[in-house]
Amino acid sequence: MVVERDSLGFDAPAPVGHPARASMPSGTATGPEVGSKLPDFQLPTSSGQRIDFHEDRGSAKAALVFYRSAVW
Amino acid sequence: MRDAFGKFEANGIKLYALSYDDQETLKEFGRHHQIPYTLLSDIDSAVIKQFGLLNTEVSKSDAFLYGIPFPGVYICDENGIVVSKFFHDSYKKRESPEALIDAALGSIVIDESAPTRSVHKDEIAITASVRGGSGSLRQGIIRQLIVRFALPEGLHIYGDPVPEGLTATAISVTGPEGLQVMPAKYPPSSPLRLESLGVELQVWSGQVDIVIPIYATGELASECRPLDAPSTSLSIDIHYQACNDTTCLLPIQQQLSLELPLDVIEVPNLPMHTGHGQREGGYDSVPALRRLLWRKIRHNPFRLIQFILKNRRLERAARRRQRDT
Repeated sequence: MVVERDSLGFDAPAPVGHPARASMPSGTATGPEVGSKLPDFQLPTSSGQRIDFHEDRGSAKAALVFYRSAVW
Repeated sequence: MRDAFGKFEANGIKLYALSYDDQETLKEFGRHHQIPYTLLSDIDSAVIKQFGLLNTEVSKSDAFLYGIPFPGVYICDENGIVVSKFFHDSYKKRESPEALIDAALGSIVIDESAPTRSVHKDEIAITASVRGGSGSLRQGIIRQLIVRFALPEGLHIYGDPVPEGLTATAISVTGPEGLQVMPAKYPPSSPLRLESLGVELQVWSGQVDIVIPIYATGELASECRPLDAPSTSLSIDIHYQACNDTTCLLPIQQQLSLELPLDVIEVPNLPMHTGHGQREGGYDSVPALRRLLWRKIRHNPFRLIQFILKNRRLERAARRRQRDT
């Protein structure tokens, strides 16, 4: 397993340039902007229940995290 | 994230975490880590694409990696309106959960359980503290260094620029190799017109919170080797001058230092992550990886071969680089 440090100083157990280390190029759009409403969507949860995001949120504030994977 | 969940709930903030993993994987992951928040399964990356977050640096020939997002977080208010969002130039950089809570509440918090130093001079109290993860540093996890001025009634301090003879508020942070210091965020200032000088200055009064995001890179806290030391110290140089409407106190240079614990990450039980001296939590994600591979390549097994060959090519190039340096 090759461990390599990238130009930002981060170490990872994969070569620099490996797709598992692909980061966002500068200038990439990052979805809904501050001030706009988050799009609604429906997805299953880990317990298998399908939820509607805004319906489930109700009138609560929310943090919506997009992460890469729980596997690797 | 899970350790801080109680704080999300206590503050009435719902937390959702979305990935391209299947429900079974998320169920196992949630059970192993006792995750109480909502894990959403976006197996075909439909919502990732809907939000425009598909990682376009990963191609379909990258086998099981295709479909991941550029990671990031949205904070929305009661009406679903985005009030903050956090995306970075490296997937390694992430906000502390506490920073997400603070963003949702619009507050800046001094965490008494984290390393904190205070100094009092001329009735002015200055406190430096690190918010997030009880002030510990891990590779890529962003903590907020907060420098708080508590100014007595009538006194103010200055924002940049100031005319000659006055000292603007400035903070510089120095630490060991591998400590990254991001630009400081200052609170909104108020204009103050000095008729005698014919200039308008920007001032702060009352409680003034200056936030400096910091994080560690591999030199200081790597995820691929054990820690060199249990903690590290950083030095905070604070320059300011306090005045009332008629007179000024002498400019002050104040130094505070904080000792911050260093920390490793918890890695899944995959050969690539284990054996590096990190916290091996024992979460066995090999079955989940098999399912992910099957789901992603069963219609085109050639992609796995392409991926393995690419992997070898990249590893050979990395070894060449390491030999050359």
